[in-house]
Amino acid sequence: MTTISAPPSRRVDAAVPQRRRSRIGSVARSSASAALGVWWLAPLVPMLLWAFADRWSFPERLPRQWGLDGWQTAFEAGAGSAMVWSLAVAVVVSVIATPLGAMAARALETHQIRHGRLVGVLLVLPVAVPPFAVVFGLTSVTLRWGIPGSIALITALVAFALPYTVSVMRAAYAGHDLTMEEQARTLGASPRSTLWRVHLPMVAPSLVMSAFLAFLVAWSDYLMTLVLGAGRVTTLAQLLGSSASSSGHDSSVAVIAVLIVAPPLVLLAVIHLSTRRTARA
Amino acid sequence: MATAVSTPRRASRPSGRTSLLALPALVPVLGVLVLGLGSAVLQSVGLMPLVGQPSFTTSAYSALASPAVSDGMRISLAIAATSTAVAVVLGLAAALLVHRIAPRRGFLALLAAATVPVPHLVGAIATGLLLSDSGLVSRLVGADPTTFPQLIAGPWWVGVVAEYAWKESAFVALVVLVSLSRHERELSEAAAVLGASAWERFRRVTLPLASPALVVSATLSAAYVVGSYEVSWLLGRSYPEPLPVLAYRLFTDVDLGTRPEAMAVAVLTVGVAGAIALVGTLVLRRTAAAR
Repeated sequence: MTTISAPPSRRVDAAVPQRRRSRIGSVARSSASAALGVWWLAPLVPMLLWAFADRWSFPERLPRQWGLDGWQTAFEAGAGSAMVWSLAVAVVVSVIATPLGAMAARALETHQIRHGRLVGVLLVLPVAVPPFAVVFGLTSVTLRWGIPGSIALITALVAFALPYTVSVMRAAYAGHDLTMEEQARTLGASPRSTLWRVHLPMVAPSLVMSAFLAFLVAWSDYLMTLVLGAGRVTTLAQLLGSSASSSGHDSSVAVIAVLIVAPPLVLLAVIHLSTRRTARA
Repeated sequence: MATAVSTPRRASRPSGRTSLLALPALVPVLGVLVLGLGSAVLQSVGLMPLVGQPSFTTSAYSALASPAVSDGMRISLAIAATSTAVAVVLGLAAALLVHRIAPRRGFLALLAAATVPVPHLVGAIATGLLLSDSGLVSRLVGADPTTFPQLIAGPWWVGVVAEYAWKESAFVALVVLVSLSRHERELSEAAAVLGASAWERFRRVTLPLASPALVVSATLSAAYVVGSYEVSWLLGRSYPEPLPVLAYRLFTDVDLGTRPEAMAVAVLTVGVAGAIALVGTLVLRRTAAAR
């Protein structure tokens, strides 16, 4: 479907006589785009409808009565404090994993450290390891050694966030021009001011993206928090898991789901808009 | 970091001090993986019991021969393979559409970028509200719930596969889109000027350029699905249990005697995910060598 016609470039259109086929192609492409749009949007539709449905019994296609009952039920069930828990865990993980990832990436890309390839592989290894298996083992170690579950949880989430921050920052440092920093140093800037006023501003967009991805790893997690938090770390995902499997109250479940989806999307939109603005400026 | 003023790009030779920069990241990764997996292995062979004296035994691994485990393994692999295949096809199609249609670039890429941050747990609940026998689709087509196909918790695992494919297709689309960049369009145009047909351009230009990204994203997606719990738990049926669901049930059993078995299933799942990663790496090497 995507391959029928030449790309819509004037130069090629002149070279390849495919006018008629390209019109069919553009219809095919538009419908394929629309189908993919439906594919990605469809699951979110009933969730949003349910979040504002007070009454919506079976054969009805739309809620009979709109309202905010689900929100009230969700907040009575603890959605407010769960939101604080989720934010706290995700921010802490992001604040730790972003600089660690950046430092490792800098070492790997610009300093050719010893065993660099091995270090690079080790740092992305967690993406290929099922997190549940790791936390199954980890929880007995923390019990034995008396390590608080919250510290074990943060460490585990940082470990699973690092592959993302390292990868994003390696891409940033691979195209990073060291001469700017060197010039700043030659002109007498201290290492500290070179770091804060030359080096970090140059990689700032990638730092923001790594911080977002690390935030997301912690924010989305369900099973690691369930096992290591042992019921004491009640994030939004924990609340969603327990209410989805028990209550059957669809509208409050949908509300908690919306509360989980909204903050990352807002963050993403803010990042998108601000990077576009700086790119234009 | 500030040692090199004279040498141009590559700043310093390997030195102990710069190696230290990678250490703070290595400590949590190695600590968590070694302690977590090490303790899982020790518990699976009886060397780290919750109660009683440690004694080496392979009985938990003999128990893996049971049909519950082999059925679980089969369903895990089937779910991972199917959802990854769907994700690769749809993700590639979306990436090509976004890449080719410059004016409407924003729309699909934005949707894909918005789908990736949705946690699988939320995706699973949303899929349930969409596809269950009293879900939105069933309401829209005016179905009789008794005859509506059992998409959720049904024999074909449609809901589980659909949820994974839904989210992983967005991931594949984004990764492939980055890899295509501007290069592909220029090469494709050059091929068109030289008389290559649309199919030939796809086969000889676009696909080779996209294939490393496809292999990487498919591998990551399959390895993730094999080791992921919540979607199968919410949308799957009670038997067969995919490996993570089986392992978690054994792990949380009131009978602590099932712990070693839970750990053995966990170790098995790590092996499966590792094998997927290994195959992916080998395929990636071959596609890189072929270029």
